[in-house]
Order: sequence, then structure tokens, then C-alpha cells
Amino acid sequence: MNIFLRELKANLKSLLIWSFIIVLLIVIAVSKFSAFAGDPEMLKILDSMPPAVMDAMNMNAFNLTTLIGFYGIMFLYFGLMGAFAAAMWGSDIISKEERDKTVEFSLVLPVSRSRVVTAKALAALVNCVVFVLITWGFSIVAVQSYNPDQAFYDFLALEMQAMFMMELIFLAIGLMLGCVLKKYKSSGSTATGIILATYFMSVIAGMNDKFEFLKHFTPFYYYDAGEIFRSGQLNTTYLAVSVAIIVVALIAAYTVYNKRDLYI
Amino acid sequence: MSIIEVSHLTKFYGKSRGIVDVSFNVEEGEIFGFIGPNGAGKSTTIRLLLSLIHPTEGEGKVFGLDVTKHGPEIRRSIGYLPSEVFYYEGMKVIDLLKYSASFYEGNFTERMKYLSELMELEMNRRISDLSFGNKKKVGIVQGLLHSPKLLFLDEPTSGLDPLMQRKFFDLIKEENKRGVTVFFSSHILGEVQRLCNRVGIIREGSMVEISEIHSLQQNNYKKISVTANGLTPEFFDTPGVTNVQTENGSVNFFFKGDINAMVQKVSSLKLDDVTIEEPTLEEIFMHYYE
Repeated sequence: MNIFLRELKANLKSLLIWSFIIVLLIVIAVSKFSAFAGDPEMLKILDSMPPAVMDAMNMNAFNLTTLIGFYGIMFLYFGLMGAFAAAMWGSDIISKEERDKTVEFSLVLPVSRSRVVTAKALAALVNCVVFVLITWGFSIVAVQSYNPDQAFYDFLALEMQAMFMMELIFLAIGLMLGCVLKKYKSSGSTATGIILATYFMSVIAGMNDKFEFLKHFTPFYYYDAGEIFRSGQLNTTYLAVSVAIIVVALIAAYTVYNKRDLYI
Repeated sequence: MSIIEVSHLTKFYGKSRGIVDVSFNVEEGEIFGFIGPNGAGKSTTIRLLLSLIHPTEGEGKVFGLDVTKHGPEIRRSIGYLPSEVFYYEGMKVIDLLKYSASFYEGNFTERMKYLSELMELEMNRRISDLSFGNKKKVGIVQGLLHSPKLLFLDEPTSGLDPLMQRKFFDLIKEENKRGVTVFFSSHILGEVQRLCNRVGIIREGSMVEISEIHSLQQNNYKKISVTANGLTPEFFDTPGVTNVQTENGSVNFFFKGDINAMVQKVSSLKLDDVTIEEPTLEEIFMHYYE
């Protein structure tokens, strides 16, 4: 409990910064939305855009002049932000002890390494939950002037569940990197690399049929806003795959961290 | 009863050597000096015993328990003062100490007060604002706070001013009187001699000598330098004198044996100058191999 509480406190600043950024994103995006909400001219402009751009932005699935359509596009940013924040929290919360050389204190305390990882993972998880709730809550507040209907709230709820799943996947990957990589400097950059790589995989998979198989390897495709909108639910197969990724990453994290030499 | 039992402990970092085939025991209630130059493997040995790193071969036992299997259990009764102290920078000293205490069973408020007053800690300062020496003082209090049965001290005096060093040594002696076993690693021979009962000497990853501090002192060489008119090196051609060299009109040599005889011999000269000093650790080591 003491490690958990200390980590919550130590990570509060980071959580506030990320929350501030996402709130700012929502405020700016919704104010932009007011320019083309319900405007038929806007549809024509969008239709004249090159199809590849539309694919990359996932705009084919949505009518950007409606609130749901607009939030469908927004999910891309929510997903990316959630992934980045969670991966950073996950990898940093473990690797910072080696970076700051505090392992000679924190792991000489009478605690097992598993207990340390668990407490830290839970603290990072709390951050992820709060981050989603802030995104969710602030979205509802921001769109009030457009009188959203129940369908929007339902879609938003699904999106937030999807964002949470993305966070969980990348939190687990981040934790694994922090635990496994002996070079503490590389865990953050490796996490960023994985996010960017999987994101572009999902873009390429959507643009070119030859690369469609790539979609099975990227969480950004598992939680595709267009797909969620069409089916009205999260894909159960990909949910199972997500859980599998999380479990494997966590097992790797615990196993390796318990065995490896700490970098001092 | 042996508090620490180390047998054939070996650690390689990839291909580079940490320690090779190190074996020794530390008995309950003793202050064991662990001495060697930088990079000899002192910190590696301590970190193995704290299970921060894991052995390549061999085993270490503390309180009769294997260090790789029972780390958390062992660490309940261990205090550790690393050579360089790093704590969470943003925390205040008092919060850090309370945080540390929260991991151990018992109430340490009184002891925290006693130790921090003794070490003249400023409890409300942030860790990040502290100098190297002040961090070290926090380390001393944190390491001793939960009344551990075994203390690992890794070059504990670096960064402490002489006054603090003395207070620290008194504190360690006091703890030792209460039955605390101390594992004292250092590269300064003098402080080991002052404090320890037994000493192990480690060199390039291997234990070269384990002996009582008394016998080490008897074996101890003095470095003597004599300047006198018309003095020739042959004057010191007596048993116990080695390594005679002439430099700028003074004769330098190492002496091992009855110091009274030597002083009498020197007093028969009309001296310009004389110095008798402890050889450096390196010089002692060199003699170990001659």
C-alpha cells in the first residue's frame, strides 16, 4: 500500500499534464466542429478529398458533420493519447528507479520484486482509469451545446471502453519493457517505437489490400472506431486477443524482473 | 552462529569480472572489515548478498537463508548504507524516513528522533536540496532506523566531515555492543583498523586474505623516511628492513618488526628529518605479493 500511494503521488503531475493536454484537445476540436456541424457544403469538400487521405484519417466511415461522425474521427487521437500515456506510465514507473539509482534503496526494503511491480502497476492503472474518465466526462460537457442524443452517449461509452482497452494493452507493454530491458534509457523510446509502428501498420492495412493482414497485429485496428460504429459493440475476438497480449506481457514482466540483475 | 556464509560466490557481468570464487563467513556480533581498492568487487559482493544482483555461481546465505530465494525475508533485518546514496529527489527527509519505516514492523518514532538529532539532520529539507554529505547522513539514519540485526556499510565515511565520521563510528560501535553484526566495506585501511575485529582483503575479484585485525597490524609495515648528514643506505641493513631507496639525500624503506628497536637505531643519528607513516593500501597489497 505504501508503494502504491507513493507512486500515485509521484505520478500525479504527469497525470495532470496529460489530462490538461486531452482537455485542451477536446476544447479545440469541438470548437472547430462548430464550423462544419450540419453544414452540407462541408460534405462536398470532404467528398472531393483524395481517397487515400480519407482512409488514413478513417473519414470514410463517418459523416463529419454529425456529432457521432466527428467523435468517430476524434477516437484516433484518444486512442493515440491513451496508448502513449499508458506506455510511458508503465515503462517509466519501473525504469525510473534504475535511472534515478533509487533501486539501492527501494529494493533493499523488505519487499519482493513482484510486490513492487504489482503496486506500481496498480498505481499506473489508476492513472489510466482517471485519464479515460476525464476524457469521457469532459467530452460530455464539451458537446452539450449540440444537444447530443442517446445514440451519441452510447457511442461515446463504447469509444471510451475501447480507449481503456488500448491503455491497458500499452500499459502492459510499457510495464514489460520497464521490467525486461536492462537499459533503462531504451524502455521509453522502445515503447514509443512500438506505438508508432503499430499505428502506421493500422494505417497501411487500411489503405492497401495487400497489407490487410497487418491489421491482426495492431491494437489500433482491434479498436477501429468505424468498426465499432457499424457493429455497435467491441469485437469479442479482438478483446480476447487484447487480454492475451496483456497477460503475456505481464507474465514476461514479472518473470524477467524477478530474475534479472538490477542496473546500478 | 554465522550471520553471513559465502561459499564460492562468483559473479560475471557478461564477460567482465565481478568477483571470482569468494568464500568467507561473518560471525554474529562481529564487525567484519571488507577491504580492497576500487573495482575489486566489494560492492558486487554486497549487492549479491542483498539480492540486487544474482550470482553466476556459488551461494550466499544470510541468517542461514539463501539470498536468492529468501531476499525479502532476509532484508527485514538488514540495514544498508550504499557508497552513494540516492533517494526520491522530490521527497522531504522526514517523509522519506517515514516511508522507509513503514516497511518494517514496529514503531520507530523515538529512534528516528534520536538518530536524526545525533546526525544533525534537517528533517524538512528536500532530498534534492541536500549535499552529498547530507544525503549520506540521511542514509545512515534510514539504514539504522528499523534496528537491523545486520548492517552493510559500503564506504560509509565518504562525504562525511571528520566530526560526523567520529559520531558515526561511535554509533556503529554502540549498535555493535547491542549485538548488531556489521559488514564494513572500505578502501581506507585506517578506519577498518579502528573498528573491525576481522578483515577480509579482496583484490581483483578474489579474496586474498582473511585475518584478525591484530595479526594484520603485526604484519603491518611502516614506511620510514630518514634524512641525516652522511647517512648511507647500509646503515639500515638490519632484519625487517626492505625496499631501501635513496632519494634527495634521504633514505626511504619499509620496516616490519619491533618499532622500538628501529626508533632507538634512528635516535643514534643526528637527524635533519624523520617520518614514520602507514603505508598506503596499495603498498600493503604489493607486499602481499612479494
